[in-house]
Amino acid sequence: MAIINQATRELQVKIVYYGPAMGGKTTNLVQVHQHVQTAQGDKGKLVSLATSSDRTLFFDFLPIEAMAIKGFKTKFQLYTVPGQVIYNTTRQLVLRGVDGIVFVADSQYDKMAENVKSFANLEENLRSLNLNFAELPYVLQYNKRDLPNVAPVEYLEFVLNNRDVQVPSFGAVASKSEGVFETLNMITRMLLHKFINEGVRR
Amino acid sequence: MLPQLFEEDIQAFDSALQDLLIKTEARAVLIIDKGGFLITKYGSADQVDTTTLGALAAASFAATQCMASLVSETNFRSIYQQGETYSLLVQNVDEFCLLTVIFSAATSVGAVKYYAGATGQKIADQVKIAQKRDPQGGLDLAALDIVDTAPLFRKKKV
Repeated sequence: MAIINQATRELQVKIVYYGPAMGGKTTNLVQVHQHVQTAQGDKGKLVSLATSSDRTLFFDFLPIEAMAIKGFKTKFQLYTVPGQVIYNTTRQLVLRGVDGIVFVADSQYDKMAENVKSFANLEENLRSLNLNFAELPYVLQYNKRDLPNVAPVEYLEFVLNNRDVQVPSFGAVASKSEGVFETLNMITRMLLHKFINEGVRR
Repeated sequence: MLPQLFEEDIQAFDSALQDLLIKTEARAVLIIDKGGFLITKYGSADQVDTTTLGALAAASFAATQCMASLVSETNFRSIYQQGETYSLLVQNVDEFCLLTVIFSAATSVGAVKYYAGATGQKIADQVKIAQKRDPQGGLDLAALDIVDTAPLFRKKKV
């Protein structure tokens, strides 16, 4: 969970990009790293713990500081999880201390079952960490909108965003940086509002 | 959750870290939250990306704990990696924090572990003080100003 250092006026927040394998989680972080506008030194290195074939093995990590927040130095740590089913223990480790989630779904029809399984896996892993999904800010990103065999957004909404409270969702083409910043800005804003409104951590 | 930390907490941490640094002749010592956040550091760490080191050390320690449970061991308290110039020790402090020491490979790890144990106790004691100060875990963000509705992150103009 977020930590706060009143001595240095520093707030640190952890966001995890979750979703099925090859859905574009790492691509989101790569695009943020390449294109974000920051003051000198506010963007850290993108670290990828990946296999020789560039598949995420443990996680990707990108520390980044928000420009527009006065009063506090607010640092966001962006992580991805490995999407492949066999790496569930690793996903649980990365989720420890999470403050907010970006669920990156693959918009292609033939990936719908994987999206649903990955979402169910997220819920299960959060439960195992005693985290209540209903209280954790999250957004949905429907990635790969440029591919020919994508499901309509309404369909994705019905499959993945069909709960009592609907969360913000974004269409994206992460490889072209489309929708990447919109998604990041929404989850960071939701998190800050949550912290300010609650004032108290559980 | 780690309680919010104030000046006196950071001073107490820094004092404990300074003491450890002198006794072990370490290059740098860091306190890391188990979620991967760097809390504070002491020593010559300017050339080290301590933010990333913190995230990796916390993840590595968590993975080690997981391995411990797989072999029915509950007490893997630290991880140690010996290098040619520098070695690294990541030691458990309490339920919230880890202590990381970057020290000369010529220094005995036994000595570093011995002193790190005492330092870890001082850190844990200060965290308890911080918790007692605010048992509800209040998060005072009164100074945080996000009235500006502009996006927090913007894309560079090409």
